[in-house]
Amino acid sequence: MHIPDGVLPTAVCLGGYATAGAATWFSLRKISQKENPREGIPKASLLTAAFLVASWIHIPVPPASVHLVLNGLLGVVLGYYAFPAILIGLFFQAVMFQHGGLTTLGVNATVMGVPALLAYYLFRLRNIFGKDNRVGTGLFAFLAGAGGIGLAAVTVFVLLVTTIPAHMDVEAERASIYALTLAHIPVMIIEGVFTAVLALFLQRVKPELLEGDS
Amino acid sequence: MKLQLDEYAYLNTPLHRWDPRYKLISFMVLIFAFSFVHSLYLLPGMVAVSGTLYIVSSLPLSFLLARLRLPGFFLLMMAVLLPFLSGQNALFYLGPLAVKQEGCLDLLLISVKFLCILTLVIILFGTTPFLTNIKAMRALGLSSILADMILFSYRYLYDIGDKLKTMETAMKLRGFLRRNLKSLGTLASLAGTILVRSYEQSDRVYKAMILRGYGQAGGTRSGPRRDEFQAYPRDLAGLLVLVFIAVAFVVAEICLR
Repeated sequence: MHIPDGVLPTAVCLGGYATAGAATWFSLRKISQKENPREGIPKASLLTAAFLVASWIHIPVPPASVHLVLNGLLGVVLGYYAFPAILIGLFFQAVMFQHGGLTTLGVNATVMGVPALLAYYLFRLRNIFGKDNRVGTGLFAFLAGAGGIGLAAVTVFVLLVTTIPAHMDVEAERASIYALTLAHIPVMIIEGVFTAVLALFLQRVKPELLEGDS
Repeated sequence: MKLQLDEYAYLNTPLHRWDPRYKLISFMVLIFAFSFVHSLYLLPGMVAVSGTLYIVSSLPLSFLLARLRLPGFFLLMMAVLLPFLSGQNALFYLGPLAVKQEGCLDLLLISVKFLCILTLVIILFGTTPFLTNIKAMRALGLSSILADMILFSYRYLYDIGDKLKTMETAMKLRGFLRRNLKSLGTLASLAGTILVRSYEQSDRVYKAMILRGYGQAGGTRSGPRRDEFQAYPRDLAGLLVLVFIAVAFVVAEICLR
């Protein structure tokens, strides 16, 4: 899912840094408005590391296995810390595991992080049903998880298909985007179900983790 | 769990001795210049520059090759798709599928750019201890909140990774087999347990930290000490050389378009 170095045109990479910069600024501004902004840092950092580790868990999808992206869940749990957390997670992945890249860090962070923030806003709608309502929590966690990955996947495909093969005709580009998006629907469902089960687990075991503002 | 990125960061080469702030700026400029290249004529030059820098860094070749394994999958996917999808001029036919000339050239460009940039990233982070690099970023103006989060996450990544390994072993010993999607619930609980444990640990860590003065004026907010980095004329010379090379690539690219 992460776009590596050398694939996207420089203008897109710089645009990615601009949007990621704006989203980071927005998130840090929201964080700074808190009474003690540093209080959340250890919590958000440990959860950033925990999310990175959790994304290493193999989910069996016979005959193969997949790793989940969990960006929707990050939004659900971390709220405004989700964007910096994703930026840092992607930075680690780029420099430690060569997964993604440094020039594409801004693009990848935008592609993963903006849906995470939207997932956070979406998950907050569960309050309509009441915070303790398990159906509301499960439903909106599913939507946040599936929507987070879905939006990220479509954006990645549109970026890749429209920018890489310079010699591809428009029809073929459109067909590729549709095909890749359709192929990702099962992944969206798995990610949505995983997020819903996990959110219900957290509601039972540690409800304050779902408060969103960490 | 081993994630050693800076295993060879303590060697003694000009690249290792280079002031991390200057090195960071120089490499980032060069990396972006490489990503700007679209002309195939410039690819040998890119390979020569990144190859020379890798030789100067004295990092073993096995270190680079080991790190190519994971991104190799992406290249493989590109190699399967691009020659068939991009372009009109068929080079030859593989059964009913035409291998297109433009697609093959696109693949060559993307692969070489990707490998050269990856080599530069590995040199950048392989020749300086990771924490020093973060301090250099902080000295260059990275937000203190982001710098703190990077340092904490880096510290606890190892710790939490080990916890996951222990829990997975415990699950296996109790007979858990991840065969199909029915195990999704159990795996979600595993991820949830990781989150809950980290959350509880973070509370203890935070309390321990405020007892040691975290967040007070003059603490981490003020950033790295002034004398943490010291630049010499040779550091500036290195920066000028790499920036000159980067500008040369950009100018050559514009001329060749």
